[in-house]
Amino acid sequence: MSLESVSRRDVLRVAAVAGTGLVLGCRLASPDSHARNLSHGEAQDGPVFEPNAWLKVLPNDDVVIVVARPDIGQGTRTSMAMIVAEELGVDWRKVKVEQAVADRKYGPMGVGGSASVRGSYAPLRRAGAAAREMLVAAAAAKWGVEASACRAENGVVLSGDNKLAFAALAADAAKLPVPANPTLKDPAAFTIIGKRTSRVDNRDVVTGRAVFGLDVRAVKAFRAAILRPRCFTGRISEFDDTEARKVEGVRDVFQLGTGVVVIGDTTHAAFEGRKRLKTTENPGPAGKVTSASIREAMRAAIQPWPEAPEGKVVEATFELPFLAHAPMEPQNCTVWIHDGVCEIWAPTQVPDSLLGQAARAAEVAPDKVTIHVPLIGGGFGRRLVSDFAMEAIEIAKRVGDPVQLVWSRDDDTRHDYYRPASHHALRAVLDASGKPIHWRHQYIQAGGRTNAGPYRAESLDYGFGSVEARGGSVATPVPTGAWRSVGHSHTGFVYEAFVDELATAAGQDPVAFRLAHIEDPRLRKALELCAEKANWGSKLPNGRGRGVACFADYGSYCVHIVEATMTKGGVKVNRVVSTVDCGIAINPGGVEQQILGGTVDGLSCALRAEITIENGGVVESSYRDFEWFRMKDAPRHEIHRIESRESPGGMGEVGVPGAPAALANAIFAATGTRYRNLPIRLA
Amino acid sequence: MEHFELKVNGQNVRVEASGEMPLLWVLRDKLNLCGTKYGCGVGVCGSCVVLVGEFAARACMVPLKQVAGKSVLTIEGLSKTGDHPLQRAWMELDVPQCGYCQAGQIMAAAALLRRKPNPTDADIDAAMSDVICRCGTYDRIRSAIKLAAQGAPGSEEEVPA
Ligand code: FES
Ligand code: FES
Repeated sequence: MSLESVSRRDVLRVAAVAGTGLVLGCRLASPDSHARNLSHGEAQDGPVFEPNAWLKVLPNDDVVIVVARPDIGQGTRTSMAMIVAEELGVDWRKVKVEQAVADRKYGPMGVGGSASVRGSYAPLRRAGAAAREMLVAAAAAKWGVEASACRAENGVVLSGDNKLAFAALAADAAKLPVPANPTLKDPAAFTIIGKRTSRVDNRDVVTGRAVFGLDVRAVKAFRAAILRPRCFTGRISEFDDTEARKVEGVRDVFQLGTGVVVIGDTTHAAFEGRKRLKTTENPGPAGKVTSASIREAMRAAIQPWPEAPEGKVVEATFELPFLAHAPMEPQNCTVWIHDGVCEIWAPTQVPDSLLGQAARAAEVAPDKVTIHVPLIGGGFGRRLVSDFAMEAIEIAKRVGDPVQLVWSRDDDTRHDYYRPASHHALRAVLDASGKPIHWRHQYIQAGGRTNAGPYRAESLDYGFGSVEARGGSVATPVPTGAWRSVGHSHTGFVYEAFVDELATAAGQDPVAFRLAHIEDPRLRKALELCAEKANWGSKLPNGRGRGVACFADYGSYCVHIVEATMTKGGVKVNRVVSTVDCGIAINPGGVEQQILGGTVDGLSCALRAEITIENGGVVESSYRDFEWFRMKDAPRHEIHRIESRESPGGMGEVGVPGAPAALANAIFAATGTRYRNLPIRLA
Repeated sequence: MEHFELKVNGQNVRVEASGEMPLLWVLRDKLNLCGTKYGCGVGVCGSCVVLVGEFAARACMVPLKQVAGKSVLTIEGLSKTGDHPLQRAWMELDVPQCGYCQAGQIMAAAALLRRKPNPTDADIDAAMSDVICRCGTYDRIRSAIKLAAQGAPGSEEEVPA
């Protein structure tokens, strides 16, 4: 049984009964949540709404803020806690962040679609504000003054000469009802939100104490490795484990759903045992599929263009490859099933949906599943799929003891849910003044298993007259999934590269051309500021070009201007200037980190990354062949944030889509050649 | 079973394991020193960088038998309290995103500063390009190395190897 979940419930009960600390569930009105709450002991007495996050004021005046959304590097553990802390009125240095064990009481726990801050901003503010009002009410009652005569800041409630720390008020406050509609702070009075704040885990990270999924040592666990078929439709028809079993530390070998499992005392033993398996694979129906055959099928799916109006016609086609997510920490999961309970340590982006899946797979009741979420070494969308956890559960069921399933880098590269490959045909017509009056876009994605291909293709940020887009897909055996910025990882590049071509066709400067057709004032401002900061139009050294790209979605705006030089070794990205408007920035430093990292992603896709299919499986096996930017590739990057009082936008993905377009446009400026297929291979 | 003696973060340790076991798994699975990360196991990502003697080494590529009798320094031993100049600079400039690669980054930077107390951009490119950061924190790493170089000499607060 999970000690942690037991103790949390106990803390709550003790708090409610004895008043040793204020424990507050932030509940969201949700009509169907009552029934679900009933299955959780601590929620039974609660009103009909669902807790979303937790905060605890401890007797020593520390405040524990529970963060429900996993941190995959986007900084939720810091930004989510800042939101609660702001409304609570606590001293940030006294805040301890605790990662939630998966529970439906938190509401949506998933991290994807740049939705964490946008989805949690209001409920987390209410959670903090409700607690603050209760503490203030307790103080007001104690002093016999009006609540309006009191204020909470830095962890104390003040009124005239009266002053009490939160902890001293906790027992009284815990007896008060939770206000349903607490008054939120005026954003102008924010002291934590909007302040550059270091990641709460920095000290643990730089000292090596941070616990990621692979570092889970809470239970002594065997290690497991799986030999999977190479081909996506493959099946291991026979295996010989004689040599594998001779490896020192190998405990068992058996076949399960996705392959042949080797159990070892150490990761090394499991990996070595796996190396010595002799297997026969039946590749199945997709054994002959290649990247080239998929590309041909996509090209063949493009329809002839219908009639277009009179004017200057511009046409182009673009091709993008499959991509792996390649998070730095390979997939892994630690599971212990015993005595009717299932305890899981999963680096997942979706702890709440894993809960039900895990209960079914482990064949235990949902309230007997405990999912701990460790720190996570990158996600990028990969960990929206819980295949690795399902495997680990299956293995743990068989083994009976705790098991840590470890995917090798090779496994991670070859058994991903890939960003689909895509093919795009575009056609535009310009009138005599150079204004686009007609824009048509056909896109075909490879792999239709998820809605991961180009989307919102018609959501162009320009007033271009008649705009239409339509898409389709060709079936492939390649499993596909959401990849950071999802559809925009295709269209962000294609649109901004093609708009650049239209500017050239119109004989206009790329920035001036964009400004002539962008209507959204926030995007215009981001573009104007970026052009100014990058000295757009100033002379560059020989061989160097400058390119621009704009992007807007998730409630945020980002403009990139990239400078690049052609060298003997290929393209060198010299400098990137970005502007970003994300409304209220919870943590400005975190916003900049996301632009920095998103840009490296976009540039890596432009110049390096590609997943190739041969014989129905993936060719690449590690960062050796699935290449990513390294220090020598990484440009100097200036990021300028636009102050705004608009509500906070999502930041996890907004930095990605424009970067490859800005680079391709810079290469055009330097060479006069348009590169329309990614990754760019210089002629 | 074979056994080997080595020094890890200044302490003598005795490890019972095959001499072929990579130092990475000795640290992680035998000694429960999990600061050194597994990223690829084939020497291409740098997540596992440690110091063997004075030099940066990829722990996934170094068999245990090769470090017998040698001194290994991992992120856990870089300083007693997390106050090595590199660690301070990393926190000051808020370098980590997911954080997974950062132990390898810091150890590679520690080796660099021992050789070149005032590294240029070119030195940093050369020394640090073996360590991938999938989150793309490079520009901040570059600044943090320079900050650490200005701030204090690289080896003063390290636990003696
Ligand atoms: S784990 Fe050693 S270099 Fe990647
Ligand atoms: S911080 Fe995530 S890989 Fe470097």
